Amino acid sequence: MKVLELINVNKIYNETEIQVHAVNNVALEFREAEFAAIVGPSGSGKTTLLNLIGGLDKPTSGEIRIDGTDLSKLKSSQLIDFRMRNIGFVFQAYNLIPVLTAKENIEFVMSLQKWSRKDRDARTFELLKAIGLSDRANSRPSKMSGGQQQRVAVARALASRPKFVLADEPTANLDSKSATTLLEIMEKLNHEEKITFIFSTHDARVVKMAHRVITLEDGRVISDDIRELPE
Amino acid sequence: MIWKTAWKNVWRNRVRSLVVIVSVTIGIFAGVFSVAFMNGMIAQRVNSALNEEISHIQISGKNYRLNNDPEILITGPDKIVRQINEIPGISGMAERTIINGMAGTAAKSTGVQIIGIDPVMEKKIFTLDKTIMPGTGDYFEKESKYNLVLIGQDLAKELNIIRYSITSTVLESLGKKKIPGSMIEKLTPLSGIRFTNEKKFNKSINSILSRKEIKRYSYEIKNEAWSFREGSRLTLTFLDKDNNQIEAVFRLAGIYDVKNSMFEKSTVFVKDTDLKHLTGLNKDSFHQIILRINDIKQTEKITTELREKMPELDIMNWKEISPDLAMMTDYVHQIYAFFMLIILAALAFGIINTMLMVVLERTKELGMLTAIGMNKKKVFSMIMLESVFLSLLGGLTGMFAGWIVVVLTAKNGINFLRYAEGMEAFGYSAHIFPEISAEFFIIVTFLIILTGIVSSVYPALKALKLDPAEAIRTE
Repeated sequence: MKVLELINVNKIYNETEIQVHAVNNVALEFREAEFAAIVGPSGSGKTTLLNLIGGLDKPTSGEIRIDGTDLSKLKSSQLIDFRMRNIGFVFQAYNLIPVLTAKENIEFVMSLQKWSRKDRDARTFELLKAIGLSDRANSRPSKMSGGQQQRVAVARALASRPKFVLADEPTANLDSKSATTLLEIMEKLNHEEKITFIFSTHDARVVKMAHRVITLEDGRVISDDIRELPE
Repeated sequence: MIWKTAWKNVWRNRVRSLVVIVSVTIGIFAGVFSVAFMNGMIAQRVNSALNEEISHIQISGKNYRLNNDPEILITGPDKIVRQINEIPGISGMAERTIINGMAGTAAKSTGVQIIGIDPVMEKKIFTLDKTIMPGTGDYFEKESKYNLVLIGQDLAKELNIIRYSITSTVLESLGKKKIPGSMIEKLTPLSGIRFTNEKKFNKSINSILSRKEIKRYSYEIKNEAWSFREGSRLTLTFLDKDNNQIEAVFRLAGIYDVKNSMFEKSTVFVKDTDLKHLTGLNKDSFHQIILRINDIKQTEKITTELREKMPELDIMNWKEISPDLAMMTDYVHQIYAFFMLIILAALAFGIINTMLMVVLERTKELGMLTAIGMNKKKVFSMIMLESVFLSLLGGLTGMFAGWIVVVLTAKNGINFLRYAEGMEAFGYSAHIFPEISAEFFIIVTFLIILTGIVSSVYPALKALKLDPAEAIRTE
């Protein structure tokens, strides 16, 4: 089942002066439960593409459809609401709200969506267990390692069962052990929750684990290597 | 969750938040105490005016008040008394004869208003009997074959009835009041010298004490050093009903002190029977009837009823007699709210500055929050709540501190003896009892919340303009 569709998407910066064609005629489809990595050298357009998919930026031309909804047709306020309900984000850094505990960070989006306390608690504890941090539920990010923080960020991204999770270089600031643990958890959750994960990454470990590797260069898709279809 | 997050964000940078909170606390405390102080001054002034000077309502003959014409009299008071008794809410009344004249001693004479009173009736209206200075006499309580007069302290000083001398008793009393020993030593050479008036006494004191000592202690020294001769006499000069000049000697019944220099210098009280006898006026005619009412809020209503019953007479209530007092009481809440608004406006700039720093520091975090689905309304609310929490924490603490100080000072009052002369010249006591109402605290709480909201607008708008994609870009 298609969760995401990019139809001839272009993003051009500085249209009137020196143009930068950050994303050049990209056409892609993503299915449910995919574990895909977007790779390419610096400046290839990975982050721009992820921002476009996540609705954080508008394409110059083309369409981006999530579950059939064309993002370009949504107003700003509708886009924020749509993101909240359909997309999870894991950033390279500054993922968590520093003043909230791990539990509070995970349930943050659920509370924005007005879930009942009972449902929020159940889902939060389920995810804390899945990421192996049940004992750190009441710890603030400052009391956790980088790897633990990123695990909480993954749990937060999955909390409200979005259509897919966008992860922009999530392992960039982690040591190898933490990065491996994080990726294993993400793969496990991808398998259990059947939620699509789309990474932008330089990390070879991510590429190795990905079921699909999309290579970008100068904003174009130069290869789309599907190794394994989701079940 | 937004409320919880906002509250926790306030404590993210404790030092910075505490600086803002303390500054709001100090500002609000200063405002609350200033208002309580002003309230106390106004309450004392109004009470003094109503209980010692003008009463609640005055009834006089038509146009009497234009020139205080002594020929305009109220006759047939029994009928008027009956009409007054028909109106509920009036707790006391007294009739007065009022003559303008001169009061003089061998040293000096000055113009005064001579008010003839029935002391028993007057006690139901005024508390003048409680203002008699200890040791100077009483409120016409002793029977006397002489004409008796009650005069004000400042008139007594002006007519050299009050004298000054530094005796050993005076020096001992000053020592007990914790006047420095060095100063008492300086005063000792003045022992045994009698000063016939305040001017001479001031001159001697000024020559031996420093300016700072005079400013700090002169009022207390004069308060201890004054004395007067019992049975002092003064001459009252006025016109009788046939416009003949009358000069009558009166003995001092007592000296009153209402902390109002102007009133004390210009008003003397005598028994109405004595004045009627001297002027030849009919004993059943009066220039004024004064009334006391139970509930000051009923003033307008009772005034209207009296006017309906007695259209031939002039009836004025205290607000009409003294518009400055009316202004103080009628507009005081608006003045206080405006005063607090000015304080809060100044504090708001500090809060705006802090919130702008908060938004700047949390650019990436705000970008992340917008990315994960926090809409503009919630971002705005979160920043606004942080601002309101900062304002409220400081405001409530300031109000509490102000309330504590008011409670502590309300019982014994605050003494401004060194400024007593100046304050009494305007009719204000130098002993202030601060007071504050619950209504004021409610208004201030509302203003504090408003300040928090208004202070957050600009920083929140800055936050809303952030592009999440730009904001979360990491270097």
